[in-house]
Amino acid sequence: MTTKELLLSAWDTRPLVPVMCGLALAGYLIHFRRRLVARAGFFVLATALFFVALASPIGTLARGYLFSAHMLQHLILMLAVPPLILLSLPRERDAAQPKDWGAIGYGGSWLAGVGAMWIWHARTLCNAAAVSTTVQWLQTGSLIVMGLAFWRPVLAPRISDRVPTFPGVLYLFAACVACTILGIMVTLSPVEVCSAYMHPVDALGVMPLLRDGWGLTHQADQELGGLMMWVPACLVYAAAILATLGRYYAGEHASATHAAGSAE
Amino acid sequence: MTVANPEVIVGHDAHDDEHARGAFGWVTTVDHKRIGVLYLLTSLFFFAIGGVEALLIRIQLARPNSHFLDPETFNQIFTMHGTTMIFLVVMPTLVGLANYFVPLMIGARDMAFPRLNALGYWLFPFGGLLLHFSLVTGGAPSAGWFSYAPLSETPYSSTMGTDYWVLALLVLGIGSVSGAINIIATVITLRAPGLTIRRLPLFVWMTFVTAILIILALPVLNASLVMLIIDRRLDAHFFQANGGGSAILWQHFFWTFGHPEVYIMALPAFGMISEVIPVFSRKPIFGYEFVAASTVAIAILSFGVWAHHMFAAGLGHRADLAFAIGSMAIAVPTGVKIFNWIATMWGGKIRFTTAMMFATAFLLEFVIGGLSGITFAAAPIDWQVTDTYYLVAHFHYVLFGGTAFAIFAALYYWFPKMSGRFLSESWGKAHFWLTIVGFNLTFFVQHFLGIMGMPRRVFTYPDLPGWGALNMASTVGAFIMGLSVIVFAINLVLSLRSGKVAGDNPWDAWTLEWATTSPPPHDNFERVPPVRSRRPLWDLAHPSDQNQKVDAAGRERTPPDKSVVAMWAFIVSESGFFVVLILSYVFFNISTKAAAAALDVKTTGIFTACLLASSLTLYLAEKSLEHGNAGAFRAWMILTVILGCVFMGGQANEYMKLFDRGISVNTSLFTSTFFTLTGFHGLHVTLGLVALGILCGLAFAGDFAKKKSSSALQAAGLYWHFVDVVWIVVFSIVYVRNVL
Repeated sequence: MTTKELLLSAWDTRPLVPVMCGLALAGYLIHFRRRLVARAGFFVLATALFFVALASPIGTLARGYLFSAHMLQHLILMLAVPPLILLSLPRERDAAQPKDWGAIGYGGSWLAGVGAMWIWHARTLCNAAAVSTTVQWLQTGSLIVMGLAFWRPVLAPRISDRVPTFPGVLYLFAACVACTILGIMVTLSPVEVCSAYMHPVDALGVMPLLRDGWGLTHQADQELGGLMMWVPACLVYAAAILATLGRYYAGEHASATHAAGSAE
Repeated sequence: MTVANPEVIVGHDAHDDEHARGAFGWVTTVDHKRIGVLYLLTSLFFFAIGGVEALLIRIQLARPNSHFLDPETFNQIFTMHGTTMIFLVVMPTLVGLANYFVPLMIGARDMAFPRLNALGYWLFPFGGLLLHFSLVTGGAPSAGWFSYAPLSETPYSSTMGTDYWVLALLVLGIGSVSGAINIIATVITLRAPGLTIRRLPLFVWMTFVTAILIILALPVLNASLVMLIIDRRLDAHFFQANGGGSAILWQHFFWTFGHPEVYIMALPAFGMISEVIPVFSRKPIFGYEFVAASTVAIAILSFGVWAHHMFAAGLGHRADLAFAIGSMAIAVPTGVKIFNWIATMWGGKIRFTTAMMFATAFLLEFVIGGLSGITFAAAPIDWQVTDTYYLVAHFHYVLFGGTAFAIFAALYYWFPKMSGRFLSESWGKAHFWLTIVGFNLTFFVQHFLGIMGMPRRVFTYPDLPGWGALNMASTVGAFIMGLSVIVFAINLVLSLRSGKVAGDNPWDAWTLEWATTSPPPHDNFERVPPVRSRRPLWDLAHPSDQNQKVDAAGRERTPPDKSVVAMWAFIVSESGFFVVLILSYVFFNISTKAAAAALDVKTTGIFTACLLASSLTLYLAEKSLEHGNAGAFRAWMILTVILGCVFMGGQANEYMKLFDRGISVNTSLFTSTFFTLTGFHGLHVTLGLVALGILCGLAFAGDFAKKKSSSALQAAGLYWHFVDVVWIVVFSIVYVRNVL
């Protein structure tokens, strides 16, 4: 099998994922039909990325073949889809009496986001997700839900629900540090994080291509996965920090009440 | 100058009248301005030492096959030159300028913690003394400024030089962290009314971001230094392969500190340039928002790209690729800043004073250093030229062409404020041109030498075609630079004695430090002018012509308590320290079961419960104080201290049992990591107990009698809870993992 054949053939042809994407899109369009503007593009992008993460060769390889594909899927579901969904929601007017989430609420959101990364890389859970479809769906669902919880204080449709600028920078930076530490551990770990990926059951017959053609030995595969969590993931947090500061200097917080309803 | 509509700053008691006390007054001073000047003068002294070392290196390298210095002396001199210039010159100069100008620029009367400030300063000459004391113990350190293991380990560096290097850097590191915590607390809690973060002068903002980098990066170095000295003195094997340790781990740790360190030295320089260029172009900075926000991006990215210092260490193609991308990414926010500065100058009424000339030269020289830096981000090029003179040329363009030029610009700009007199412009121009010619002659040719393959850190070289001539040119350049520094020193002395009197605001600048007299009085300001934009003095001078958007006055919040802010900063810093120790533990023990055989989970579990209970009792103590119940407050405090002591007793007991079985820090990698990690935790608990003990004593002396809360108690409480949280992590990783 060549790389081209793999990219053409390893798509999930079962209807479940496309149907989910279709339902989500339909739901979004119907619910927001009166307020449909350009930000719907974010939702389309989120759905498309969800589809790519689960049904494209990335999703196929993540099911027990490549740890790095699993990590890529993980990053898309956690760092791309949830923020895009939040961005696709229309701005809402601030509540008359905004709920004060306080340190505990933000701490909880932070733990959800960072915890999702750490928990699913505990050896037992990581292996289970690599081989069992049920666990994998549980993982997908939890990543998106916990991702939404994590990104809500940064991108909530209601500005009063957002964490203030500088605590927000700290929030994102701390997540970046936690992610980096896990990435370093996965990259440099002398033992395998996810043993299921060591000797996959090769139903598709792709392992010769991956191991010899792409040069991804099990060790290299894990290193690549760790590096993905370390460098690109941190770039996402850094971008979010820049956006938060950009918002601050653009004065959005100063005139929070007027910003409701206006697109970013 | 007259100040319209003044607002008086309240708070901050005046210090006692120390200015009357002559030379002794300088030793005992806690005035941020005097401490700033002390930092600058001490740095200048070490700059002279480091400069002489540089000249010795250049004399040795002036001709091929030279034997002016023997190899061992050469190693010592380049190690001392690097260490001196980074830790005893650049960092303290930046801290000194921050010390002098941050309080003035934010309209404060002093730093948040004047005595901590004095401590931070005195640790600096003490650290410098420790470093140089190695000379009389058998030789200076000679393993380079980054002391790569295993070269820095006892078998290869057997004199005490490296030990003194470690101790000196620890002392300097502690001083830097204390200074950084002080800057953070000052900027957060002591800003004048109306001076929101959005209106901060860029020098203050960048110094603030640098302080955050310092509290995050220096502990990584400190933890690694601790491990290195345990290797050297207690015979452990953290970084020695022959005992199972990992030399590459030292490189990872060192550069985790070392790369942010580059930005610790560069960001304040960016801040100075962002003050000087607008004033002498008569325009506000172009794209303030971008300059400010991208600084944060640089700070964050700087922690993610250290491995580009290790391309030649064999991390593998995948890692090289990831770090090459990260390193190129960090060049973007830095590069765009150059355009911000150029755009500020564009169309401005530029006055080429010496300060502005240095700032303009900074743009040129820093771009050269930045461009050669980008070539290093490409791993294949790095393999060719790493550890050659191309690298030496690169980082001197960054650190001298960048940081030192910015410091000179800032000194010419701010000297009138510090002394009341201008630095002489004619001596200044001579200084500038000598520096430009000398600097570029010294280092530009080194690019060619590097590409021709001349390795750095080798004491001499064979007579290959062109090498001798280029090296001689470089040496001539170095002596011209030496001359330029002498010219600068003469300028300083002459101008201090008989320079032109400057007045309050000689450059017609816009930030608050120019609103007071030159030099400022002891308490800085009689009255701080109102701050309604980024350029408060412009607004004062042009009441009807405010060219900058005056944003609506934000809600004035009461600033948080300075002790609590400082404690949080300290906790962040200490977390970095423990993360490094914990990571080493995990790295060395992830696949062994050595811990299970040596440790008793149940007994330690009981003592752990005591420690956790002490957090609860401390919380109850705070609540009792809030309710005004003095008796209960004292009782809970005593109980907290007792529980803490019980925990320490348990730790001591465990150590004694291990020692009885012949297990000590050098037995195996497990015991090295175990004793280092739990030992430093124990040290932190002990410090917490001392703090709580003092508070107990104060409580019984009736100090809390009528208070509902105390910031000292709050801060000590935060620290105590932090120590407990660290123990929860340590206990889970070291003990609980064995029984799972």
